[in-house]
Amino acid sequence: MAELPQIHSVHKSQRALDSRGSHRSPGRPERPPLVALVNWPFLLVVALVVSYGLLVCWSAVQGDADYSFNRQLAGVGAGLVIMTVLWRFDYRRLANMTTALLVINVVLILLPHVPGLGTTAGMGARSWIKIGMQVQPGEFAKVTVVLFAASLLARYQGTLDDWREYCKVLGLLLVPFACIMTQPDLGTGLVYMAISAVVLVMGGAKARYLLLTVVAGVAAIAAVFAVDELLKYQLDDGTWEYRLLKNYQRGRLLVFLNPEADLSGDGYNLAQAKIAIGSGGLFGKGLLNATQSTHGFLPEAPTDFIFCVLAEELGFMGVVLLIALYAALIAICLSIARAADDLFGMLIVMGVVGMWLFQILENIGMDVGLMPITGIPLPFVSYGSSFMVVNFALIGLIGSVWSHRSIQGRKAA
Amino acid sequence: MLLAIIVAVLAAVIAIVVIAAALAVKANRSTPSVGATKGVSQLDTVGVGTSPFERRTSARAARDGEVTVGSSEDPAAAKKPSDGLGTRFAAVGALAAGIFAVLASKLWTMQILGNSEYANAAEQNLYTTVKTPAPRGCIYDANGVPLAVNRPAQAVLADPEVADNRDVVRRLSTVLGVPVNVLFQRIKDASGGAQSLRVLGQDVRLRDVAFIAEHADAFPGVTVEERSLREYPYGALAAHVLGYTSNVTPEIMENKTEGREILSIDTVGTAGVEATYDSYLAGEHGESKVMVDANGRRISVMSNIDDSKGSDVYLTIDARAQYVADRALADLIAPREGVIGTGKGCKGAVVALDVTDGSVVVMSSFPTFDPTNFTGAFSQDLMDKYNSEEAYAPLNNNVVSGQFMAASTFKAFTSLAGLEYGFASESSSWNCTGEWDGFDTGVVQKCWNHAGHGTLDLYGGIVNSCDTVFYEIGKAFYDHGPEGSGDLPDTALQEYIEQFGFGERTGVDLGGEAVGLIPTPAWKAEHWRNVPSEAVWRGGDYTNMIIGQGDVLVTPLQIACAYAGVATGTIMRPHLLKEVRNSAGETVVTFEPEVSRTPQVTEAHLTYVRNALHDMVRESHSVAPLFEEAGIDAAGKSGTGEKQDQNDTAWFVAYAPFDDPKYVVACVVEQGGGGSDTAAPVVAEVMAELMADAAGTSTVTIERVAGSPGESVEIAVDSGGRED
Repeated sequence: MAELPQIHSVHKSQRALDSRGSHRSPGRPERPPLVALVNWPFLLVVALVVSYGLLVCWSAVQGDADYSFNRQLAGVGAGLVIMTVLWRFDYRRLANMTTALLVINVVLILLPHVPGLGTTAGMGARSWIKIGMQVQPGEFAKVTVVLFAASLLARYQGTLDDWREYCKVLGLLLVPFACIMTQPDLGTGLVYMAISAVVLVMGGAKARYLLLTVVAGVAAIAAVFAVDELLKYQLDDGTWEYRLLKNYQRGRLLVFLNPEADLSGDGYNLAQAKIAIGSGGLFGKGLLNATQSTHGFLPEAPTDFIFCVLAEELGFMGVVLLIALYAALIAICLSIARAADDLFGMLIVMGVVGMWLFQILENIGMDVGLMPITGIPLPFVSYGSSFMVVNFALIGLIGSVWSHRSIQGRKAA
Repeated sequence: MLLAIIVAVLAAVIAIVVIAAALAVKANRSTPSVGATKGVSQLDTVGVGTSPFERRTSARAARDGEVTVGSSEDPAAAKKPSDGLGTRFAAVGALAAGIFAVLASKLWTMQILGNSEYANAAEQNLYTTVKTPAPRGCIYDANGVPLAVNRPAQAVLADPEVADNRDVVRRLSTVLGVPVNVLFQRIKDASGGAQSLRVLGQDVRLRDVAFIAEHADAFPGVTVEERSLREYPYGALAAHVLGYTSNVTPEIMENKTEGREILSIDTVGTAGVEATYDSYLAGEHGESKVMVDANGRRISVMSNIDDSKGSDVYLTIDARAQYVADRALADLIAPREGVIGTGKGCKGAVVALDVTDGSVVVMSSFPTFDPTNFTGAFSQDLMDKYNSEEAYAPLNNNVVSGQFMAASTFKAFTSLAGLEYGFASESSSWNCTGEWDGFDTGVVQKCWNHAGHGTLDLYGGIVNSCDTVFYEIGKAFYDHGPEGSGDLPDTALQEYIEQFGFGERTGVDLGGEAVGLIPTPAWKAEHWRNVPSEAVWRGGDYTNMIIGQGDVLVTPLQIACAYAGVATGTIMRPHLLKEVRNSAGETVVTFEPEVSRTPQVTEAHLTYVRNALHDMVRESHSVAPLFEEAGIDAAGKSGTGEKQDQNDTAWFVAYAPFDDPKYVVACVVEQGGGGSDTAAPVVAEVMAELMADAAGTSTVTIERVAGSPGESVEIAVDSGGRED
């Protein structure tokens, strides 16, 4: 990190200025107003989203012995504790820990590769570790990726207009993605990309560079397919195996392009997801009445396809309610980001915004056929305590950004 | 439900309050003093400032070496990092709004605009129509004696995919007691259709079924269904009439008649009346609309149309007489444990008709089979035995499919031919020396009575079955044919005989009926086309044919029908169906007797032949006592067919009562010896039972008849010579 540019200026502690000017005798407790420490609309929306998510999750796990609602509740409980801790924690302490955050990220994401610790579950990706229970370090790394990206960009003070520096930042941001692709877990990798992209944009990277990056990215994807076509080799049973993208990943992309191509595999999932959503109608079939998921037509109903359960049971009204809550959450987060004192705090909030936006888009988008199928959970709704804890941690960080902004800012707000 | 929502909301509210309280308490306690907070401008770290939560004393701060420096900057000059990024904030906001708008509009099109389509698809997912096989109708004899009924049986079925799961197959093997490789064979057998459930066990013990049901998790893809299986209360009784049912094969599916719905789970009649009247016997499939899950497991039944049992078929068979015939044949041919060769002959048939309407009252064929062996567990061993040569084809119905040389039973019709063409009359007479060479070929044809019958007329020729008399009549046909005077075609005799139904199917309501053979010059030329020396139509063909030997082949049913024609003057179409009753017991079909043919015969000639047949029974020293004992006034004819290196084929056919004919009974026993000795007692016994039954004086109790084991010992050739 030595090559990183020196910081040209730091923001003053408005709080310190403020206290000095307030002629209060030293030692007397200063009482910041409660309303200023807690962003009530934010907390309210979070509470509503979490409750709504729990309700849907509860409905989705009924009658399926593989899932336990209590585990989900435990996740929320643990999340609340972590949220409270992080809310009080001064996020600024993490600001210049870029190197450490990068190392933590790499270690965390590569943890499942440690023999004896990592296990494979589901699609055969090495995404899990066993420590008493199975957890996905890649999920937890979402927090550290947000922090890492924010701290990295914060160093540039909002102006990243040197292309060499830009490339360096780009390269460093791609490290977590590269690590997660060794599992491989394209879905989580794309979440890291989304976080990095938003942080990059909000971190002040030059517009031209960003445009070039998008062009280069598209070209790279095209190149991956083209090179894959050259590198493919035939297996003994006559099928072709590709080296760069897994067959199931290709299959999902192809299904996305032509959903009718495979009605038994991924195409089946998509068709069943669409049926679940479409059959919900305006008001839905009522809680616990989702025939598509309770009767097993919808695979992975409580996790990746939980939105379908919501859409089927509560209909368009239920879906719109969730989307409205998400929109409110994002809007409040944007306002918190705007109110943040320092770039680091703002970028943390924006990174989280990017992550949530992408996960919402991808999860709901894949259900309705707008996005390729990838196993990305829906924030606050999907079954899974790891991700629930992660989301609460991020809320805690956002709360910390809000609470630690300057008094002046508070007064202004 | 509502409770859950309330609890969730309450929990959320409590959580908010607790967190807020925790934060507030901490905030209240925090008293960051001016001196304790450090000036940010001196720090080499970015962004780290004071926290409202921090509670640090100045002493502690001093210990940590922190220095507080007041900032000289004007608070108003403080800039938010977001200030210069308004456009980008707007862009992210717009992106978010765009995402939510796109998702919401897409959901609108799916949930509101496309709702009905998707709702239909969900419905289709959820509901399936399941068809259940219906029990077949039962089969009864004319008096309501059950011949084929149903009993419930448990069938174990499996998905074809079970073959991929060795453990499940192994477990099934243990439970069902069937070797693993046999189970694999059954699973791989796709004869019922690629997706059809495979029948792994058809008549499984309830104990084993219960075990599978209790351990359903250990048997994925395995289901148990109750099916109805055929039960035959009397075993092999009338087995060839009843036939048997089979599981559905692709051929059956292909050849099904229109309107008959066959599912792979059904059993279909493939032989006997089970096949002929399959459409009556087959029931209506039950149909239930069931809610299923993705694995096809039933969750609940939405609507149910019960299957309806097929209609019951009542046959014209008289079960008691049938039993007598079945027993008589079995006792005659295979008295020791059903092994052929331990008695007389290798195979036989008995058929009895009601001459007035063509009803088949007895149709017995030996060797026989127990149709029970064709239901449930199918024994391949037995099947292999039945297919071997020493079994003498137990599945073959000798009455309709067996072709035998007609022997002297033919003489009734050839004498009528002689009378009609004027080659014989009441006044004509011949001299039998035991040997005959009417064509002067040097090849001497013998009468069965090598000593000769002396001088006799046609009447005597019939009664004594004198071959010489018939050789002369045959010669007359030859002499008037194309080789002689030419005033008759060379098929005159054949055409006359064919009036009685020979060489043609009788039209009985059973499959597999044989045609028999009445040789003609054309047939002979075709048959021997590769051996021109044998293909020539000779006088000997007439003389052989006229005594029912040579190439003449008839089925027992043809003989019975033809004698019915002699007895009454008309031949009714033989039939087994009496009536069909639906499940409510109403008679829905009644068989209408129909005249099959009316031979053009001068009544006087017919009377002449009838009287001769009457006397044949009354005067024969071996036959007469049989009928006298039973008090039956019968007319009939014996026959003994000769074949080189084999025992003779024994024939006897009789109708009774002579004055007012009711029944005709024919019996043939291949390699059984003389007709009067071997076949006549069977005919007499069956006729007696029929008469007793008609009079209501029968004392016979029907017992279970055993199927043949499919075994035989070598049949001793008794070169005793023919005795008609």
